[in-house]
Amino acid sequence: MAPMDRRKFLSRATVAIAAAIGIGWAVPGVAYVLSPAKKKTGEAEWIVLGAADRVDIGTPSLFKAKVTKTSGWVSTEAEVAVYVVTHDGREFRGFSNVCTHLGCRVRWVADQNEFFCPCHNGVFSVDGQVVAGPPPRGLDEFPVKVEDGQIFVSLEA
Amino acid sequence: MSDRVGGWLDERTGWRLVWDGVFLRQVPKVNWAYTLGSATLIVVVNQIITGILLTIYYVPSVQDAYATVDFISHDLTAGWLIRGMHHWGASAMVLLVGLHMVRVIYHGAYKFPREITWLSGVGLLVLTLAFGFTGYLLPWDQKAYWATVVGTRMLEVTPLIGDWALRVARGGDDLSAVTLSRFYGIHVWVLPAILLLLVGLHLYLVVRNGISAPPKKGE
Amino acid sequence: MREQDRRDYLEKYQEDKKRGIPFFPNALFKDAIVSLLVFVALVVLSAVIGAELGDQANPSDDSFTPRPEWYFLWLFQLLKFFPGNLEFVGVIILPGAILLILAALPWLDRSRTRNIRGRPIVLGFVVFLFLGVLGLTVQALLAAEPPLEAAGGDPVALLYTENCSGCHGTSIAVPAGVNLGDVISQGGHEGMPAWSGDLSSDEIDALVGFVLSPNGSAVFQDSCSGCHQAVGLAATQPLTLRAALQPGSEFEPHAGLDLPSLDESSATALVNFLIAPDGHRLFVLNCAACHGNSAQFAGTRNELLAIIEKGGGHLTMPAMGGVLPDADIAALAAYVVAPDTAPASSAALFEADCAVCHGTRVPVAESVEAATEIIVKGGSHQTMPVWGDVLTAEQLDALTDYAYEASQGSPAVLGKTLFEQHCTVCHGEFGEGGASPVDPSFTIGPISTEQYLVTRDYITIRAIITQGQPDSGMSPFGLAFGGPLDADEVGAIVAYIRSWQDNPPVELPPAVERAPLLVDVADIYAGFCAQCHGADGEGGIGPSFQSPEWQAIHSDSQLFETIDLGHPATAMIGWGDILTDEQISGLVELIRSLQGGPGTPGPVAEVSFSGDVLPIFQSKCLACHGASGGWSAESYQSVMASGNSGPAVIPGDAENSLLGQWLLGTGTGGFMPPSGSLPTTEVDAILAWIRQGAPDN
Repeated sequence: MAPMDRRKFLSRATVAIAAAIGIGWAVPGVAYVLSPAKKKTGEAEWIVLGAADRVDIGTPSLFKAKVTKTSGWVSTEAEVAVYVVTHDGREFRGFSNVCTHLGCRVRWVADQNEFFCPCHNGVFSVDGQVVAGPPPRGLDEFPVKVEDGQIFVSLEA
Repeated sequence: MSDRVGGWLDERTGWRLVWDGVFLRQVPKVNWAYTLGSATLIVVVNQIITGILLTIYYVPSVQDAYATVDFISHDLTAGWLIRGMHHWGASAMVLLVGLHMVRVIYHGAYKFPREITWLSGVGLLVLTLAFGFTGYLLPWDQKAYWATVVGTRMLEVTPLIGDWALRVARGGDDLSAVTLSRFYGIHVWVLPAILLLLVGLHLYLVVRNGISAPPKKGE
Repeated sequence: MREQDRRDYLEKYQEDKKRGIPFFPNALFKDAIVSLLVFVALVVLSAVIGAELGDQANPSDDSFTPRPEWYFLWLFQLLKFFPGNLEFVGVIILPGAILLILAALPWLDRSRTRNIRGRPIVLGFVVFLFLGVLGLTVQALLAAEPPLEAAGGDPVALLYTENCSGCHGTSIAVPAGVNLGDVISQGGHEGMPAWSGDLSSDEIDALVGFVLSPNGSAVFQDSCSGCHQAVGLAATQPLTLRAALQPGSEFEPHAGLDLPSLDESSATALVNFLIAPDGHRLFVLNCAACHGNSAQFAGTRNELLAIIEKGGGHLTMPAMGGVLPDADIAALAAYVVAPDTAPASSAALFEADCAVCHGTRVPVAESVEAATEIIVKGGSHQTMPVWGDVLTAEQLDALTDYAYEASQGSPAVLGKTLFEQHCTVCHGEFGEGGASPVDPSFTIGPISTEQYLVTRDYITIRAIITQGQPDSGMSPFGLAFGGPLDADEVGAIVAYIRSWQDNPPVELPPAVERAPLLVDVADIYAGFCAQCHGADGEGGIGPSFQSPEWQAIHSDSQLFETIDLGHPATAMIGWGDILTDEQISGLVELIRSLQGGPGTPGPVAEVSFSGDVLPIFQSKCLACHGASGGWSAESYQSVMASGNSGPAVIPGDAENSLLGQWLLGTGTGGFMPPSGSLPTTEVDAILAWIRQGAPDN
């Protein structure tokens, strides 16, 4: 090998190795920094609420469940409350118990057959529609499914 | 093209002077043992890069330190690699610094005119150990905690100022949140600042005085 | 390096450079290759081994055995060679010196030679340093991990792991001559707590064994733990233990058991574990029964070792041939060989002639002839056991070290003297306390009760003596605080005070001390004194108050003092802390009224030498103190004049007469007769005779 060739080869090899090491740091480094962003909570997480036969036909029943929310290394526990309604025992719907007006908790008043918000007298029908009072829209609805007699709710919607 | 860009840059930065002085300088014929210094340097760079990456998620508090290290190691993409390389880099650093020193002693390379280079090297050795000691605590696991309890307690035997030295090292009587926070600050800000200064001086002197030639018989 | 050398070097370096290579790319290429290798190595290590993350730090879980990162291991290991006060040498001085030498290397090695062959000292230093660090690191890595897992089954190892390994790591190097049991129970140095509050003494014994013989613990676990618990077995009698370990044991409890057979080193380790080679403890177990706190010894350590190892023949039995009638000798010989079939009179003969030294113990002889021979000729007796067969080499060494040191004046003996000089003024001779000499209304509590000593460790007592107790009027005694005592002297006093703990001269808890009993004197007598002195003062464990002699020879103030402070050589304790002075005075009166008692003979005027004293000498002392030299008990003249230590009797002063001191055990030598104190009545008779002025009557 001529001296110049050898020199060229060594130069290129050295630069190539330096580049390789650089990439060796950069690729995992970038992936490491970006990885929390890529992690979309994505698929709906189904939370068990309880047995489906606890729900009387035509009467909303309140279910409460604990949800652990993890962000990074910090886990927080939250309680969700969902009214589950069915009219035929097959189709179930889940409603948030938070009033769409100012965030008070609504409760089911069986006598009136309606949801009532005590803060400003908001009234919702059994299917979550606004009946009276200041709420701007009906109660938020969550997807609900029943599997093996258990009701699951997804809070993603 | 690249010549034109280089020329344009050179007119404004004078980089060619530096390039010629640092990279195109003549050095004596050397053997493989002379690569130990640059091997150490690459580990230093590794420690800086991975260390910076670790600080992105690490939180130096008693509540969070362990959880964040756990998060880095198990939840983040390549987190295990970043932390692994930092962890093993620390060991490699000590090993390579030691070998590099043995090489320098073997070749008598600490002699004129390289005394200051040697002295800055000894400083870097101490610095390396200080990095190791402060960094060991940061994961806040049992091993880290108790090794540091014992490590700092050693200071207590110093005559006269033992008690005081112990409290200075721990920031109080016990190993606590204060200790963790201080060790973190030292490991991440104080020591790297000194490290950069000393490495800079060390490299400048290596370039200025040249790499020592392996002494022949009778030299 | 001289100017010329420097110029030469620079010139030569320029040449080297000219003949050299460009840094980029030729030299840098090699660097790049190595860098790549290092990088790949880091990635591979991370992928294959990874960075361990243990359990979260738990500051309250001190069972974790800390271990530094590998590059500090050598320093960690080095510390084991610098225990106690020397620790700072290992921590600060040695590493500091190494660093200093490294930093100063260019100025230490100033020769122009650069080739390593021309620099043997530097080469030697580096090789030494390298091998040293490497060796220590390897040693630390090899050091047996404390059996954390095994600890599940080995309770002693678990004890160690829980209580000791936090500071001491996997093992402790104990310097020779350290009383490890004391260090553990009382706390040794700064930072080491006293464990006696947390661990039972059985557990401490077991720990001592474990520290000194960790292998023994493992052997025990393998071979004995099926039936035995280590903490209960540790520190039993070595003779029993040795017998129990015999293969195919004739040791009764082991009969019929299939014992695991141990090789020699395992057996030794096991014995060392169960009875730790801890000199002080061995002495207490094996020697104190005959030798008391320390044995007098004037020779070298090796001589002492030989005596302990091989047994001693240092009591000489007087020849009885010619002294006793032949018939008596024959009867005795028969009795010695077979007590049951010997003539009836022989038992009485033995009692009279032999029991003084031999007690009730019947010396063993194989045949009547052999027994006769020994009795007639007397001579050396193997009275001291051959400990070399019983103890392991480690135990022998430890025991010899302790016994030798103790014979040179153990700290406790030195401490006694110092205590008498500095402390008795306020604390009384036995730490019983009393009214403060400065302020009589202030009572100084006893410092010799068990409760007091158990609740104060060495460090505390040392601090009290050194720094004083300003609030209680005690001035500091330590040199550093302006007192007269240096650290060693304070240590000796602490050792002396500590020696009370096993046998406290004051047996009452401090809590009771200032609550005088508000009952009348008669009830006090009936409740306390009568237990030993009889309901009517007829005597019992204590002397009879009815005896006119006894009443004659004790003054009122003596009685008062004895009740107040107790009597050192007897079971009589000091009542001064419980009773008021009035009550004691009342007791003295009551005791006086008991003289004569119901139905005792009238007062005897005085003790007669020929009638009362000489018969005691003849029956109890003459066997040894007759023809065989030294003090002779034969006659009035010999009693008064003979002896190797000056006159045995100082007429009128029983307590300071050698004879009195021997009988009471208040002198330096111990008790006479060696088989135990004479009955109180006999001692009192002899003392009374001396007090009368030792007349030849």
